[in-house]
Amino acid sequence: MQFISLRNLRFMLHEVLDLSELRNSERFKDFDQEAIDFSLDAAQQLADQYLWPVYREMDRNKAYFKDGEVHVLPAVGEGMRALGESGWLSAAWGFEHQGQQMPLTVHNAGSLIFQAANGNLAAYGFLTTGAANLIREFGSEELKQTYLQKMASGRWQGTMALTEPQAGSSLSDITTYYEPQADGTYLIYGQKIYISGGDHNSVENVVHLLLARQKDGPKGVRGVSLFVVPKHLPGPDGLTDNNVTTAGIYGKMGQRGYVAAHLMYGEQGPTRGFLVGEEFNGLKNMFLMMNEARIGTGMMATGSASAAYYASLTYARERPQGRHPGNKDINAPQVRIIEHADVRRMLLFQKAVVEGSIALLLQCSLYEDTYRVTQDDRSRLLLELLTPIAKSFPSEYGNEAVSLGMQVLGGAGYTDDFPLEQIFRDIRVNSIYEGTTTIHGLDLLGRKVMMEEGKAVQFLATEMQQEINNAEQTEATREIAAALALGMESMQQVLGTLLQLAQRDDPRVFLADATVFLDYFGLHVIGWMWLKQANAAVRALPNAEGDDETAFYQSKIQTARYFFTYVFARTAGLRRTLLAETRITLNTDEAWLL
Amino acid sequence: MKLLVCVSKTPETTTKIQLTADGTEIDTAGVQYIMNPYDEWYALVRALELKEAAGGTVTILNVGPADNDSVIRKGLAIGADDAVRIDVSEEKDSLYTARQIAEYAKSEQYDLLFFGKETISYNGSEVGAMVAEFLDLPYVGEASHLEIDGTKATVTRDIEGGEEVIEVQTPLAVSAAKGMAEQRIPNMRGIMMAKRKPLTVVAPVDYPDTTRIAEYEKPEEKGSVKLIDPDNMEELVRLLHEEAKVI
Repeated sequence: MQFISLRNLRFMLHEVLDLSELRNSERFKDFDQEAIDFSLDAAQQLADQYLWPVYREMDRNKAYFKDGEVHVLPAVGEGMRALGESGWLSAAWGFEHQGQQMPLTVHNAGSLIFQAANGNLAAYGFLTTGAANLIREFGSEELKQTYLQKMASGRWQGTMALTEPQAGSSLSDITTYYEPQADGTYLIYGQKIYISGGDHNSVENVVHLLLARQKDGPKGVRGVSLFVVPKHLPGPDGLTDNNVTTAGIYGKMGQRGYVAAHLMYGEQGPTRGFLVGEEFNGLKNMFLMMNEARIGTGMMATGSASAAYYASLTYARERPQGRHPGNKDINAPQVRIIEHADVRRMLLFQKAVVEGSIALLLQCSLYEDTYRVTQDDRSRLLLELLTPIAKSFPSEYGNEAVSLGMQVLGGAGYTDDFPLEQIFRDIRVNSIYEGTTTIHGLDLLGRKVMMEEGKAVQFLATEMQQEINNAEQTEATREIAAALALGMESMQQVLGTLLQLAQRDDPRVFLADATVFLDYFGLHVIGWMWLKQANAAVRALPNAEGDDETAFYQSKIQTARYFFTYVFARTAGLRRTLLAETRITLNTDEAWLL
Repeated sequence: MKLLVCVSKTPETTTKIQLTADGTEIDTAGVQYIMNPYDEWYALVRALELKEAAGGTVTILNVGPADNDSVIRKGLAIGADDAVRIDVSEEKDSLYTARQIAEYAKSEQYDLLFFGKETISYNGSEVGAMVAEFLDLPYVGEASHLEIDGTKATVTRDIEGGEEVIEVQTPLAVSAAKGMAEQRIPNMRGIMMAKRKPLTVVAPVDYPDTTRIAEYEKPEEKGSVKLIDPDNMEELVRLLHEEAKVI
């Protein structure tokens, strides 16, 4: 069963993205093409062996809470340990932390394989790495010694414990609080909800990276600090209970094997926490994990959409149904549904979303790696600007892609004989995780397009223009380059209008259609990604060896054409909405919503 | 213990095999290669297990061109200590390959020589036995289990209806079948270590290539499937009679 294309990941890493700057750096110099290919092969083997075989099983035998314990399939622990022991969870860490200094670009390519195979299981590992990264980045030496390797082994689960009943998107409103103790530790009181991976019996310990505010301290973000709060306290005699109580777990539409827990701290005895980084810097530090988690959410959505694409592609290649229009001969054999134009439209949509998303996610990862070795403004700002798109485009368009994947299967897709119905349920949450799409629209329009005097947008425009210039030289890509160039002109007009609005009007007016802008902006970014892939394919095509390779590059050029004709075309309507200034949403009386 | 694992490369299992126009060679354009699974999953992994239990070294040996280095380094990533490639640029027959291995191995005093039970590309399975013959060593083919106790090897083979257990003294040559070990996935540390492990390239000895591929033929492609509505038996009968001509 195919759930992702390794060939496509190699294409991105070896033929589309320029990793030469990384290879010239001391940190990443060992990651040549062979090391990257070996790593991806190993990821594929792990996914084939530990993740994909239990994807459906984790849904059918969902996590449950009984006698104070959260039960998951043993396969969760086996998968976590396989990811840990193979070195994947800590592969991107430095040698000083027993990592392999793998570029994030490669690590995330591997993670995409895991996410496509089984996002529910991969997420346990992905969360653990993210939580451990906070300790690695901001924790004391003692915390690093105590926690990092245990978490890297996959034997201890990591979480991000942020959300509370009254504070979801608005983290400055959290009420979980801490009290300093004479021994340098802190007592934690409060409760957290929707904590992914928050408790389960497949690991030896659960380590919460938790936000809490100083008791009676300042309100808002200023009083918030970050803590390590383990379920069991590690000590010389082993692990002892730290009074982190699980009140229950949530019944969910999808991702049923991936626990979301309601946790209470300090209810049944003292819960001890350990400060990570400086006091009151909690939210700022936590953003390191949240930004990673946003890219991670984009990867999770992309992985699901990828699995759905290959499931529907396989079905479309095998399922005979109907005849070509015009063929009235009842005795003529039925054709496979992949021969029908509309089925191809649906498959192309999925392919365009999946491979466009992969391209953007890896591009963002490359900016992060480049920033690590060069500390340049360009990479930092482009990563910041594109993170809302990398999170929201795969989540929103992934939903649509999976829905079309189900449509390809017809009635069969709605049954649990095929994985589409599960993937459909699983992918839905990604546009909610790590800041809803609305939040990312506000972040993009309200902050990022204007940050540092619009420098990030200028950098992006330069990158896009460069790709347009490359494409204009070739017949195969000239037309789509022209479409993107026109789109960029329109974008300037839209941004100009919106920024004028920001200056002369209430922020509510300026930001009312931020989500529409996010969609509009995102389609341009993915258009750029498709042009970049098409350019690479045009370069490679003359030297393609064999029919499969030729078809691979042709498929890239054709999918780019599809994207611009069928998907990018939506920007025209979005532009009209953004320029309308009708204030429909703001001027809708609440009483009319009935 | 000094262990040698002889490995070959084979097209990746999903590769669509194409032949050259004259049908005498496989068209290698665009073909991705992997280590022959019997060599990797069973022979190499069992050798590594024995080394981990009793100490020693595991060397990988391949007869082939420089293109094979990537396949060889995969073995180093899985855990072999070093590798040797006998530099042969053209495809040669089994006897030639066996001669090259034997010439290299004869002065190295290996306790065990491992081979996969067959190559999945050409279904070849002769090289191990030929090497054993050249080196005057005992040979056990298609072994599903191997234990070493000092210089005594206990080898189990699956035979029709049961198992055959053979006791034999080392040094010996053995070809590994399913059951010998479990496939290992290289870990990240192994992958990054692989490029630092020695891969020695040696020149082949002169030896004649005694056979020649006259021609390959691909099996006929399977015909398309026609699905007949269960309620339309008349159509089924008509097709079986007129098209399939079986009734």
